Amino acid sequence: MSDDAADVQRVLAGDVDAYAALVDRYYDRCARFAIRMLGNRDDAEDALQATFLRAYRALNRYQERDRFSAWLYRILVNQCRSIAARRAHRERVFVREEALLLNAPDRTVAWSGEDEEFVQRVLNELDPLLREAFLLKYIEEMSYEEMSALTGVGVSALKMRVKRACDRLRERWERIKND
Amino acid sequence: MRLHRPPRFALGLSLAALVALAAIRPVAGQDATVDRLAKLDQYNRAAVELMLDSAATLGLPVSYLRSVAYEGIQRKADGRAIVRAVRKQFDLLKTARATLGTVDSEELTAAAAVLGAGARPNQLATFRAQQKAPSRLEAFAVWADLLTRGVPAEDAFSGLSKLWVDGADDATFLRLWKNVQSDILQGLNPGTALQNRIRETPVRASPQVKPPEGQQENQSSR
Amino acid sequence: MIDSEQHPYVEWIAREARRPVVTDPAARERVMAAIRAEPAPAAHVPLWRRIVEPRALTLSPAAIGLLAAGLVGIGVLAGGFAMNRDGRMVDQPRVGVAPQLPVSDTVVRFVLVAPQAETVSLVGDFNGWDASKTPMARAASNGVWTVTLPLSVGRHVYSFLVDGKWSVDPNAPLAPDDGFGHANSVKIVRRGSVL
Repeated sequence: MSDDAADVQRVLAGDVDAYAALVDRYYDRCARFAIRMLGNRDDAEDALQATFLRAYRALNRYQERDRFSAWLYRILVNQCRSIAARRAHRERVFVREEALLLNAPDRTVAWSGEDEEFVQRVLNELDPLLREAFLLKYIEEMSYEEMSALTGVGVSALKMRVKRACDRLRERWERIKND
Repeated sequence: MRLHRPPRFALGLSLAALVALAAIRPVAGQDATVDRLAKLDQYNRAAVELMLDSAATLGLPVSYLRSVAYEGIQRKADGRAIVRAVRKQFDLLKTARATLGTVDSEELTAAAAVLGAGARPNQLATFRAQQKAPSRLEAFAVWADLLTRGVPAEDAFSGLSKLWVDGADDATFLRLWKNVQSDILQGLNPGTALQNRIRETPVRASPQVKPPEGQQENQSSR
Repeated sequence: MIDSEQHPYVEWIAREARRPVVTDPAARERVMAAIRAEPAPAAHVPLWRRIVEPRALTLSPAAIGLLAAGLVGIGVLAGGFAMNRDGRMVDQPRVGVAPQLPVSDTVVRFVLVAPQAETVSLVGDFNGWDASKTPMARAASNGVWTVTLPLSVGRHVYSFLVDGKWSVDPNAPLAPDDGFGHANSVKIVRRGSVL
């Protein structure tokens, strides 16, 4: 039995703190996906909170034969979609120049700066479904079968999305270097 | 910038192929100088180009940053030093813009140089302009020069900001600088020279001296 | 089909995006606090029982389509770029573009007295810092090197290369070191005149 499955069993047997072990194991990795997908930490944190809560509530439906991470990610991906849909009305734009004003406290203390910001901006330009596919394939390094099970989308459609995402990024490169 | 060299990543393209790929489509009107970035290795080049793109998105002067990279190449600086230098100027531009607001790119790069020479952003903020303020190019050039020569930051700021607030124009700043310059050449300490000359500079902007027309020479001696 | 030879730029983006993020431990605390406030999950169900997939976690193609339609707007807001329906980018004016001074040229003469020198060139932002672009000419008698060229209005940074050695213009304001260990010189050019 994997660590994950063992922890799940412990939680279901009544040991809430065993859930903390699962959270510790997956939070940062899920955070990376959520931040890249949603473009800012606040929304990512909302998505993560909702994900781990839902996972907890649905824990008895987790089957040991599934990879826990895949099961968790299915929830995470859907939470990110919900947050994004809700966000439409709040007009959240990912811009950091304001934070550079002289005495603004830097709340994003772990933000590594230029490169991350730039890469995020590039990712934000992708259509969300393309971005999602790109992230699952190249950041989470999932197989197309895993991605298909997770998103409910067919393998060939996913391959098309990933390809199109890469095309967009390549186009961007062409624009930069021909400036 | 912490780009990791990726020996483990099989990119499937040799460096030569990549450079060839990058140069493959000569765009009409593309300046030959653009290819000078090809002297950087692919990762440093990518880093620089990404910063240029980032600057463009922010409305910051791209040609200035590109110029910094070219300078580094001509000075045969290490690729990483070039990336660091472009990064530093990028950050200075952002701070200058955050301090002064939307100003034209010439004033922005001049302000960035002032910050780079050691002025503090809240000092630069004194030069924030209202609607139709006179050009600050000469004031900033003089300020950066004095700081680079070792005038203490407080002295440089207090002297120059006083002139600016009192309405001194470009010609006044230029004259001030020439006088300070000649004092320094005669052995006077830069800070002292500045203070002397500030004191004798007319406080109220007098009718503008017309700048000389056409070509102007400066005699330089070594 | 995915090209197995990934474009280096795409590879770079992926590599950067793969970097771990550092999260605030307090966020994890908040998660656990919310968990502890929850009723315990439903009683342990033996794993040998067949369990139906929660319907909430699978999306019908129609639902995905709706989400896609709704999400296109997100991309616009998140990225600051406009997209039309089929995902193609539409040019938007960039945020905060600085107004440019009208570009016009003024003819400027650079002068350097260097009697011992054999070659002098002018190098600066107006010639891409290319030492081969603007060689200076020596007047026969007096060791005075000059060159005259048109410069656009505004601020210019430059230096001289004298027999392979860098030299600032002694008669121009200094520009601070750009990060290469050398100060440069500055020239402010105005329309029709030079300061």
